[in-house]
Amino acid sequence: MAKISSKPGSNPSAKSAQGEQLSRHTPKSGTSFWARLWAQRQLMLMLLPGIAYYVIFCYMPMYGLRVAFMDYFSLDGYDGSPWVGLAHFERLFVNNFSTFSMLVGNTLLISLLTFGTSFPLTIVFALILNEVRMPKIKKAYQTISYLPTFLSGVIIASIFIQLFSVGDGIVNKVIVMFGGKPINFMLETSGFYTVYVVSGLWAGLGNGAIIYLSALAGVDQEMYEAAEIDGCSRLKRIIHITLPSISPTVITMFLLNIGSLIKVGADKALLLRTSGTTEKVQIFSTYVYDIGIADPSAQVSYPAAIGFFESVVSGILLISFNYISKKRSGTSIW
Amino acid sequence: MRLHKKKKFDYIDVIANTFLVLFSICILYPMLHVVALSLSEKGPITRNEVSIFPIGLTLDSYTYFIDHPKFLSGFINGVWYTVEGVFANLFFTALVAYPMSKYKLIGRTFLMKMFVFTMYFSGGLIPIYLQLGNMGLHGSEWAWILAGLISTYNMIIVINGYRAVPDSLYEAAYLDGASEFQVFYKIAVPLTKASLASIGLFYFIAHWNSWYNAMLYLNDEHKWPLQLFMRSVLIENKETDMNPTFDQNRLTPTGVKNSLIVLSMIPVMIVYPFVQRYFVKGVMMGSVKG
Repeated sequence: MAKISSKPGSNPSAKSAQGEQLSRHTPKSGTSFWARLWAQRQLMLMLLPGIAYYVIFCYMPMYGLRVAFMDYFSLDGYDGSPWVGLAHFERLFVNNFSTFSMLVGNTLLISLLTFGTSFPLTIVFALILNEVRMPKIKKAYQTISYLPTFLSGVIIASIFIQLFSVGDGIVNKVIVMFGGKPINFMLETSGFYTVYVVSGLWAGLGNGAIIYLSALAGVDQEMYEAAEIDGCSRLKRIIHITLPSISPTVITMFLLNIGSLIKVGADKALLLRTSGTTEKVQIFSTYVYDIGIADPSAQVSYPAAIGFFESVVSGILLISFNYISKKRSGTSIW
Repeated sequence: MRLHKKKKFDYIDVIANTFLVLFSICILYPMLHVVALSLSEKGPITRNEVSIFPIGLTLDSYTYFIDHPKFLSGFINGVWYTVEGVFANLFFTALVAYPMSKYKLIGRTFLMKMFVFTMYFSGGLIPIYLQLGNMGLHGSEWAWILAGLISTYNMIIVINGYRAVPDSLYEAAYLDGASEFQVFYKIAVPLTKASLASIGLFYFIAHWNSWYNAMLYLNDEHKWPLQLFMRSVLIENKETDMNPTFDQNRLTPTGVKNSLIVLSMIPVMIVYPFVQRYFVKGVMMGSVKG
């Protein structure tokens, strides 16, 4: 007892209580693994459903990825289906190279367009909002900015299809007003990407800014006052105090985004594509969905191989960018 | 503390406020446009006159859904799946976060790594789809509720919440002979209500707004949640353009579609006032490293 309660950090006044708490998680006698485990039996019991969840629904599907190296037939299952090695990857990289390069191109295009606009604009938006000095007005701006977070993907898609429609959309009204010809956005690939990116900005900017605003709220106000006394202008204070103080957050967010550069979800693209664009705007996730699930004669192993490739590439991207960042700036996401 | 209490309104204020007013208009215009279209009469809608104020106020478009079986079943299904999902998510996230918040837990570092790894790497669509099928979960909402039972990100928020509770409170309960389960639901959970409300809100929005999972796992239209019915109406135009019984004399596809959007926001509007203050807090808590 005494040995435990004299551990560093324990508060002398709460000595007995601290000892009691520790005795709950460390055994009274003996320090063997089993004794410690017995002392934590209740915690272990609470942990069980969590471990079961992660094993069954996260790690078993990863093990299930071996299907990418098989010719899977649902009647034979995992055990009966024959192994085919890298045949599906060969099919993807060699035989269907044109499809593969289109998928890589479209996926990268979509994520670079999205990331390239939303990442800097979110930071700019947070910086601008941070310069509003009346708290109530600032709150009002912020509340409005994240309202779209509560709308579903279906609603957002519907709203933007309406805004960009040929007949009555406001975007085409503006184009006509300036003497242009109305554009049928939803039937053209460029229109698809435009709507995809603009709706993403509309829906995500306010929500994305919250994390930077919380970082900005933590900046020591005395720094600003000291800089002001030294005759530093407001713009200079933004550049020399505000920006450096959110740079760790910026790097972290950059890393998190770069890892998912090749992972673009299928849902939004499925909603926005039309008969005119479907074949031309295929990305990895929609292609996997189309040939693996939507198709009446759905394949299993080939789309699984594509999904495997997608996961591995994004893992490599995340690890390598995190490594570079750790070397350069000491910021890492783990 | 402040040296100059009243500061002059300088050019940065002008730029910032101008930008933010324009930005707010851009955010609000599409939403107000939806509401205005849903409440307008046929004439102004077809003549394309409606912007953000309804013209010829009417509830005609809304009446289309009052006795629409697919709308009603979708609404009920959606609410039910959301209730099931949010309770399952909240219960298991809160439960598993409790032992994970104890620094002394055996294998804590390993388990945390095991959990966090799944945030970056997953089996992907096909293996999960196959596995849920083998488990007999296709055709049931439990397919996606179980497959997404715990979000690691949300669990980290709750772990931080439990750790913010003063140790002395846990110690006092242990002294009184409380079991871990009692400490969990009498001390840890009541004192982290704010964190739990935030993640409850995240789970709620995710469930109510989801349609993709339902599309993957539910073939039977009677089981569809509202968002999937909305997809067929709003995106695929199945109720309006492709429906010969659609009353063209009184209704417009645009009006009907937008009234559906407004109707689908009812649960969110009911919940929003109660949890609104937890939303920003929740996103900020997520930025604290676990």
